[in-house]
Amino acid sequence: MLFILCALTAEAKPLISALSLRKDNTSCPYDTYFAEDNSVVLAISGMGTVAAASATTYLLTRFGTKKEQDHLINFGSCAGKDPGMYLINKITDDISGREYYPDMLYDLSSAGLSFSSEKALTTVNHVVSSLEDPDQLYEMEASGIFQAGSHFLPPHRMLFLKYVSDSGVEDPKSITNAHLTACAEQQLSTVLLILGKLKNISEEIPSIDEDLFLSASYALHLSETLRHELYQLFVYARSENIDIEKILDGLKKEGRIPAPSKREGKEVLHAIRERLI
Amino acid sequence: MPSGNDLFNHPFSHIYVEKAASDHPLTQAILARFSKSVIIPVGHYKDVFNRPRQNFGIQKQSQALILAKNRGASIFPGAPVCQDFGYDHFYYASSIRNCIFDCDYCFLKGMYGSGNIVVFVNLEDTFSELEKLLAEHPVYLCISYDTDLIALESLTGFTSRWIEFTRTHKDLTIEIRTKSFRKDIYDKTEPCDRVIFAYTISPRSIIERYESKTATLSERIAAASYAMAKGFPVRLCFDPIIYCKDWKDAYSSMIQEVSENIDMHQLKDVSIGSFRIPSDYIHKLRRDFPSSPVCQFPYENINGVFQYPEKIRAGMEDYLGSLLQNLISKDRIYKIDTNQVP
Ligand code: SF4
Repeated sequence: MLFILCALTAEAKPLISALSLRKDNTSCPYDTYFAEDNSVVLAISGMGTVAAASATTYLLTRFGTKKEQDHLINFGSCAGKDPGMYLINKITDDISGREYYPDMLYDLSSAGLSFSSEKALTTVNHVVSSLEDPDQLYEMEASGIFQAGSHFLPPHRMLFLKYVSDSGVEDPKSITNAHLTACAEQQLSTVLLILGKLKNISEEIPSIDEDLFLSASYALHLSETLRHELYQLFVYARSENIDIEKILDGLKKEGRIPAPSKREGKEVLHAIRERLI
Repeated sequence: MPSGNDLFNHPFSHIYVEKAASDHPLTQAILARFSKSVIIPVGHYKDVFNRPRQNFGIQKQSQALILAKNRGASIFPGAPVCQDFGYDHFYYASSIRNCIFDCDYCFLKGMYGSGNIVVFVNLEDTFSELEKLLAEHPVYLCISYDTDLIALESLTGFTSRWIEFTRTHKDLTIEIRTKSFRKDIYDKTEPCDRVIFAYTISPRSIIERYESKTATLSERIAAASYAMAKGFPVRLCFDPIIYCKDWKDAYSSMIQEVSENIDMHQLKDVSIGSFRIPSDYIHKLRRDFPSSPVCQFPYENINGVFQYPEKIRAGMEDYLGSLLQNLISKDRIYKIDTNQVP
């Protein structure tokens, strides 16, 4: 699943419509939008790190995360020198001084984000009126999202995509919703390409036949510790492509499964190991 | 593991540079070499290296380089699971963390949360630390313990510097463990009888299956031969011995290939030891690499160290020992004493 967080509806609008996301009309603490097939869910956090961190936690706990499959994406506006969209490789929290580093493993150049599109960002607690460091980007949520997100997801599964909407303003009201939406719209094709790429990245989660494992451990009257040992034999068999069911069938035919007692169950466990290795 | 050539950035596409290390000449030299990489300044290397929930395996697909300054100790007493070759004062040095090779069973995958490589650029401080230790007693030091130093020689030049340092410190003996094919180091420096090059030797099938990115068996044999021809002491490490169903065939053809291509009498010594790993490390390896048979093997936990069941372990070690006894004198065969393992 792709979890997307935007601070403002104005930033999210183009994505919501391009991905045909539907609003969740049940009562939610944050406006939440879904894709029909549940592959994407987007929430509007509101501004600031506290709002962003708590919306991240809401999103990731409400829907549950699979750390081998899901990505958390923060898409939003920022202040910066040059217009365009940037992939963030370092987030500094201005208040605490702490630094956070999303992993930069994926090659996103085919989606239009080359190395030159990477930048460091500072999360501040107010709209900046000027750029203290012109090489940095400034916004108000990323450090909160990273901190909350890293309780659930590894750093290579959190991406921060920021587009420049201004280079600092005296009056925050001068950045209108229409302007934020128009800037987001300009980056839409890149964002969609990136989301398409991320959707297909999943790490293997090989599994064993749980039913077979449970029935075997009952039939052998295994204690907790010995159940762990049997589990390890199942995992090893799978890694070596050995059909453990065949071994169990063989032992059944020999009349050793089910085992009449704990002691004999332990002996059968030993026999399974011998036949496996 | 997700794969695909276009999915990941190339190795060292991103270099994290600690502020304290940024002016160091080695940092500057490395950055000049990787001028197209993205440089990310960091306050402390641990802010990157020790992040929670990193995925070691995925990071290995696109390893980042971290250049840092070691502020604490960098020389440590050798672990009991390691062979000490009869030396009383057995230590290892940690100047680089992690490796460009990718062995399934690597203990570093259990030890570190990150698959990225940290190079501590201030090797001179390690030398000062070592000089203090040498003032107390002779030292036997493994310098390629939590990396493969030779594989990173063109990046760091550390191996050459260690050789020069050892040459001028008569109470120091160093061991440089490797699975690399590189031979150029032997052309660049004069031999020293206290600089031991130790080649891990594994059967072809084990290398192909479990020792990703390392040199082939023939390349390792060729490099070891070359080192000996240049006058360096060479050790062959049949350690770790990895179990496979046809281990007898695999290990006997390996020994045959070795003996046909290496003058065994010229070797300093050989070591034999089957795979063993502390329990904390294997738990992490098993969690992170669910499809790797060498990680998932049902080892026995003997006093906190996971190892093959006695029958397999003794069978493999004795068999290899008997093959080697025909090729090299017994006093030059070192076996890991598992009873010494805590
Ligand atoms: S060569 Fe050694 S340090 Fe490198 S990955 Fe293999 S086992 Fe680990």
